[in-house]
This record gives sequence, C-alpha cells and structure tokens, in this order.
Amino acid sequence: MIELIKHGTTIDFMGKRKIVMTFSLIITLLSLYGIVYKMNYGVDFRGGAEIQTKFEKEVHLDDLRDALNKGGFHGTSVQTIGEPKENEVLIKVQADEGSLNLITENLTKALHTSFVDNKIEVRKVDIVGPKAGSELRTSAVKAMFWAILSIMVYMAIRFDFRYAPGVMVSLTHDIVIVAGVLAFVGSEFSLQTVAALLAIIGYSVNDTVIVYDRIREHEEKGEHSKDLRTHINDAVNDTLSRTILTSAATLLVSASMYFFGGAAIKDFFLAMSIGIIFGTYSSVYVAASTTLFIDEMSKKSKNTNAQKITA
Amino acid sequence: MKTNWWVRFSVLLVFIAISVIVLLPTVLKFDENGSYPVKSKINLGLDLQGGLYMILGIDFKKVYRDEVQTYSRKIESYLKDKEILISIGAIDASDVNDPKQTLTFNKMSDKETGKAEIKKTFGNSIRFTQDEGDKIQIALASTVKTNIEEQSVGKSIEVIRNRIDEFGVTEPEIIAQGEDRIVVQLPGVRDIERAKELIGKTAKLEFKIVNDTVTPATLQSWLEKAKSAGVVYKKGERFSDYIKKMNELLVADIPAGHELAFEKSNAPNADESMNIPFVIESTPRITGDDLADARVQIDPQKNQPYVSMEFKTAGAKRFEETTGANIGKRMAVVLDGNVYSAPQIQGKIAGGNAQITLGGGANFNKTMREARDLALVLRAGALPVQLDFLEQRTVGPNLGNDSIHKAKIASIIGCALVFLFALVYYKFSGVIAIVTLLLNVLFNVAILVAIDATLTLPGIAGIALTVGMAVDTNIIIFEKIRDEIRKGISNMKSFEMGYDSALWTILDAHITQAAAGFCLLNFGTGPIRGFAITLLIGIAVTVYTAYYVSKILFELYMEKTDAKELSI
Repeated sequence: MIELIKHGTTIDFMGKRKIVMTFSLIITLLSLYGIVYKMNYGVDFRGGAEIQTKFEKEVHLDDLRDALNKGGFHGTSVQTIGEPKENEVLIKVQADEGSLNLITENLTKALHTSFVDNKIEVRKVDIVGPKAGSELRTSAVKAMFWAILSIMVYMAIRFDFRYAPGVMVSLTHDIVIVAGVLAFVGSEFSLQTVAALLAIIGYSVNDTVIVYDRIREHEEKGEHSKDLRTHINDAVNDTLSRTILTSAATLLVSASMYFFGGAAIKDFFLAMSIGIIFGTYSSVYVAASTTLFIDEMSKKSKNTNAQKITA
Repeated sequence: MKTNWWVRFSVLLVFIAISVIVLLPTVLKFDENGSYPVKSKINLGLDLQGGLYMILGIDFKKVYRDEVQTYSRKIESYLKDKEILISIGAIDASDVNDPKQTLTFNKMSDKETGKAEIKKTFGNSIRFTQDEGDKIQIALASTVKTNIEEQSVGKSIEVIRNRIDEFGVTEPEIIAQGEDRIVVQLPGVRDIERAKELIGKTAKLEFKIVNDTVTPATLQSWLEKAKSAGVVYKKGERFSDYIKKMNELLVADIPAGHELAFEKSNAPNADESMNIPFVIESTPRITGDDLADARVQIDPQKNQPYVSMEFKTAGAKRFEETTGANIGKRMAVVLDGNVYSAPQIQGKIAGGNAQITLGGGANFNKTMREARDLALVLRAGALPVQLDFLEQRTVGPNLGNDSIHKAKIASIIGCALVFLFALVYYKFSGVIAIVTLLLNVLFNVAILVAIDATLTLPGIAGIALTVGMAVDTNIIIFEKIRDEIRKGISNMKSFEMGYDSALWTILDAHITQAAAGFCLLNFGTGPIRGFAITLLIGIAVTVYTAYYVSKILFELYMEKTDAKELSI
C-alpha cells in the first residue's frame, strides 16, 4: 500500500505547541486588523448597486468612467472581470435609496448614448438598499454565532466538556483568518463569502471531530499512566495521514472550481480553499492545544485547591 | 452471500432505480405533457436561468397616515347623514407612528352628539386625542394599527400575485419574510423593467376636488419660494419625496386640509418647470377600492388609448353625490400621488363611470402599453401599502448558461482528480470509493428533483464540494482497516473492525457539520439557500453511500476473493 505518512510516525506535535500557538495568535491578530481596516465589503453589505455588463467590442475603462461621469453618476468604480477578451465589466455605483430604484434604467441610457456603436448587454444587476445591507450584516454574524454555538453544545454532550472550547477556538480561528486573508488579498466580502465561511465551519469541525474522536478512543482504551498530552500526540499522528489525504481531495475539487468555475463562483472557492488549508491546520493544532491547555489549567487549579486543603 | 446482504443490496438497487426514474425527464429533456409518469424536471435557480429577485419592504408610517385620513372621510360622510356637518382640518404627523387629524364641527352645538355618534360607530377603530372648542382630534386605535401590521403583508402578496398572474410568469414565488418584507422571485422573466414597474406600482387611485380659490399667480409664487429655498427635483430622486418636501415647506401657505400635487408633463425632455401644479384636497372622495373594473379603450377622435373605469354600487353613489355637490369645480384623478387629469365637473355624473387619459404626444404603442399595464394594476387592486425596493437582483438569460457550462466543466475536472487520487492511493478499494461517490452524486441530484428544490450555482458548487468531502468517509474507513491489517489481523476481521469503529466517528463528524448547514439554511435566501440545501442533502447521502453502500460492495469483494487478498 502507498503510504503518505509512514505508519508509526511519532511527531511531538504538542511539544511545539507554544511556538505554533504564538504563530496562530499573530496571524489571528493580523487578520483582525485586516478585517477592521482593509475589508472590501461588497454591495450586499454596503448597499449600492453592482451592474455586470458585457460589451460586444473592446471598451477602455477610462472611456467608461467618462461616460458614467457624463451620465451623472458619482462614486463609481469599474473593473474588468473574467477573461479580457470577453469584455465584461463590473460597474459599482453608490447611490441613495431613492435613486437606486432607477439605476438600471439610467445607467443603460448613459451607456447607450456614450457607446453608440457597441452592443451592450446587462448581464446581472444587484441593488441593495442601505437598510437591507446592514440587516444582512447582522444576520451573517448571527448565523455564524449559532453555527459555532450549536456545534459546541453537541461536542459537550457527545464528547467531554473539555473538548467544546477547543472547537470554538479553532472554528473562530479559521473564519477570522480566512476573512483576514480575503481582506488583505482585496477580494470582495459578499453573501457568497458568508456561505463559504459557514461551509468552512462545517468542514473544519468535521476535521476536528475526527481528531477528537481518536483522542477519546486513546483515553478510553489507553494505559492510565499516559497523560492527555501523549494521547493527543498519538491521536494526531494516527490521523495525520487521513487529515492530509482528505484535505488534498477536497482541495482538488475546490481548486478546480476556483480555476475553471467562472467568475461567478471564484470568490467563493478562493475563501473555501484558504479555509480548507487553515481548517486542517487548526484541527491538528489549535483545537487539541486548547483542550490540553484547559486540561492543564483545571489540573493546576485542582492541585492548588488540594494544597490549600492539606495546608 | 447472507440473506441480510441480499436485503441491503436490494434496497440499494431500489434506490438506484427510483433515482434513475426521477432523473430521466431532466436528462432526456422530456416534454412536460408527455405520458411519462414522473413530470418533475430540475428547477433552475434565478442565477442559472435568469430572472428577477426582489425584496420589498413596507413603510407603515405612510399607511397610518392614509388610514387616519380615510377614517376622517368616513366620519364626515356618516355624520352628514345625521345632519351634522364637519370640516376636515390639517393632519399632524409630528409623531410619524401615530398621525392625528383635526375635525372641526361647523356648529358648536353639534359637538357632543357628534362625538357620541363617532364613538358609537367608530369607537373600535379610532380614539380622540384632543378636544378643544369646536375642534376634536382623532388618531387610530391600537387594534387598527396591529391589524394593519398583520394584514398588509398578506394583502400585498395577494395583489402582487394577481398582477403577476396576469403578466404570465411560470412558477413565481412570492413569500413573506418577517413582518414587513416580501420576497418576490420571478425566474425566467425577460422584460425585467416592466415586471418591476408592475409590481412596485402602488396603483393607489384617488379622486380629489381641486381648490381653485388659489390663483395661478399664488401657485407660481409658491414654486418660486420653494426654488429659492433649495427644494428642487433632482434627477434620479423619487418624485414622491420631492412632493413631500414641497408640502412640508409650504405648509403655512397651503389652505388647511389641502396639499400640493403635480400633473407631470409628458413632453420629451420635460423638466420640473413644465409640471402643472394643483392644490387638491388631502383626503380623497373616492378611491381605487370603489372600482369594479378597469379596461383599455381607444378614443376614436384622437386615436388615443385611455383607461375606462367602472365603480361598484357604493362608489358610484358617492361619485354621483360628489359630482353633484361640486359642479363647476375640477375633480383631479390622482394616481400614486400624481394628478393624471383634472376635468371640470359639468354636472352630476350618474352611472358610475370615469376615465383616465394618458400622455398625449407620446407614440401610440407606448401609450397603449402604458394603458394596458395601468388597467391591469387597477383591476388587480391597489397595494394596501406603498412598497419600497430594498433589494433587487436581476440576472440576464445568457449569464446563467455561461455559468452552468463553466461550473459543469470545473465540477467534472475536480471530481476526476479526486477519482484519480482514490484509484492511485487505494487501488481496488479506490474503485469501490469511486462507485460510491458516483452514487452519491446520482442520489443527490435525484433528491433535489424529487423534493422540488431549486438548483442554483452555489448549489452545483455544493454538490462538487460534497464529492470532495464524501471521499473523506472512505478515507477514514480505509485508514482504519489499514491500521487493523498492520496489527496482523486477518483481512476479513480487519474489514469488519474497520467499519465498526468508523461508524460513530463518521456520524459525529457529519452531525456537527449538519449543524453548520442548518444555520446556513436559516441565514440565506435565494442562491445561498440552494447551497445549504445541497450541502445538507449531501451530508445525509454521504453517510449512506460512503458508509453503508461501500460496505455492501466490500462484502461482495471479500466474498468473491475469499478474503484472501485485500487491495487497499
């Protein structure tokens, strides 16, 4: 049989956890900075209009900008999407609630007058009022909160209470980092991104459960002389091959969708791919490390309590 | 083979057979009216076939205002029958959630009887908020407001559905979201602007008497005043907002109980200065609720379409009374706040007919279409409330085809890579994994069709992703079997132990994952929901195919090879 990870590999994962956790903390903080200061919120959350137009002949973005300015639009931005030869442009317009209603009409009119000999096809229009935008933001955060909470409760019931915080920390870690990377890359944060983040939560928890399950198995069957730290190391080593194989398989799909799936789902699979990488890393390291940390803390406090009693 | 195996194998075959039956119409593009027993084809989401998705919100503040005015008119007409005359004064909307209207008794001596009469008949709907001299002030009772809140959404949905039905869209979806939202989805709609116009038009029809005591010169001076105060109509702005601002500014000038409205000019390149101003009563005499029918007709002399309306009995009576009492004055036909025409009343009009003429000068076809749409919305009924567009998403038909094509190719590439990987890494066991993955996709799509779900672009992504994640279950089992083999246990025993110990691992992993899926389902509308649905179906199907089906196949494999060799 082909073995990616040689059987009987014993890497001391937990021994290096301080370094790795510091690394995680730094990335998380950087990501939070990115989310707060650099995030490029899409029309779904910011409100405004996004119009995807396809021109028959090539069109210069500068000409397009001029045309929009002449048409009385302000605060617009234009960018090409997809293959350059397809002449597709995404036009973003900021506007107040009243004028948003007429934006498609006014915009097409403006484009037709400026590009008389070019055929223009409006392929997709997204108009989100400012009120709807802020509501979508709240419901996105709520959805993620409930997802993580319900997973925590299930883990506490099915496994052990010690395991639940680890899941929470690792899931939060994953979505913060994915959102942070997206912020730095400049990819737009949209409804699809939220869907991707929730899918990542699902994927990452799946991964974490496998590792936890093995830790539990070791704890139940294993010799009592071994401590949790050894059990975790054994469990992570046991599952390492599966962890890597699964991530690779999912990444194969996710990456093909990113490269070949077209502009409409590119952002979604960018988020997904980053999520798979960090989800794998976090289920090996972050979740188990947190559990070990909590275990050690509770033992320490038990010991001090015991000492207090004997004293 | 054991009987138990045969049972499980038969169940699998039945599932496959059902899936194939369900999917045939979609795959072979059967005719909807054919003789095939299963009709369902896969529903393509808006993002794949194009169409219109909208979220509409209700502005309750405006509804309350209208309602208080309607009650004032009702009270006026009711008291008139009792020979008590009142006049309707200004509306006080300083508290937008509780507007109040002043009523003045013409004779002070009528006040107490009048109040008692109002209380007797309208006591449940309105309340008195002020009582001073010959004036009283009324506001809506809280039960009325609750009723409005509860019914507006339902009524609006009904009206929109009526309009859409006449417009002819297959499988429109019009549903309530929360207490003040309506989601409208019109897949496959081509004339998006027209659909939007039809749905968004409140179609609130009102007949109001024009106050001609205000001279044109005075009107002109008001407009100048507004202009110098900076109240001008900006291009792209909602016209109703402009009118509202004008009325707020000129509130001290306009006679009490009246408002300023415009007849919009139809001339090409018209600007605001060409609109004709009118001072009309705030409270309508007759409204669209009184209409029995509306039809398009053509004026043979001018060769121009117009909409002729027929009133219900009560409406016809009120129309007759109103025209009779106001001979010589002008009656404005107001639609959604704008004056369409204001003919002079030559005499009492009986028979209950009225008409709306539409823009002169514009070309015939355009006017004809406008007239037809107007008659349609008047027939279908006015929306009980004004709806604001909160979100609008439209997708052209070509984009969807492009998206499907690309997503399909990408999915095939992704799945092929996964299959290749399984084959190389797990050899013959990999073949079993591939079979279960293919069955996974088959069942997934079959369930989507069977439950009448909608396939969206993220939905396709969800199916592809399911394949990527489903292979995980195979990997878990195979790795556990490998663990056992390494311990030197026999092939048969390793296989059994591998499957046994993997069961709860797999269940735990999938249940927690499903929890995230349910949150996604709750969060999303439209395409996102489609993604959540495919993901959830995928989770359930994966547990069955990747665990139970692969076990069936494995048992067959062990049986055929006498468990002597295990290619894993």
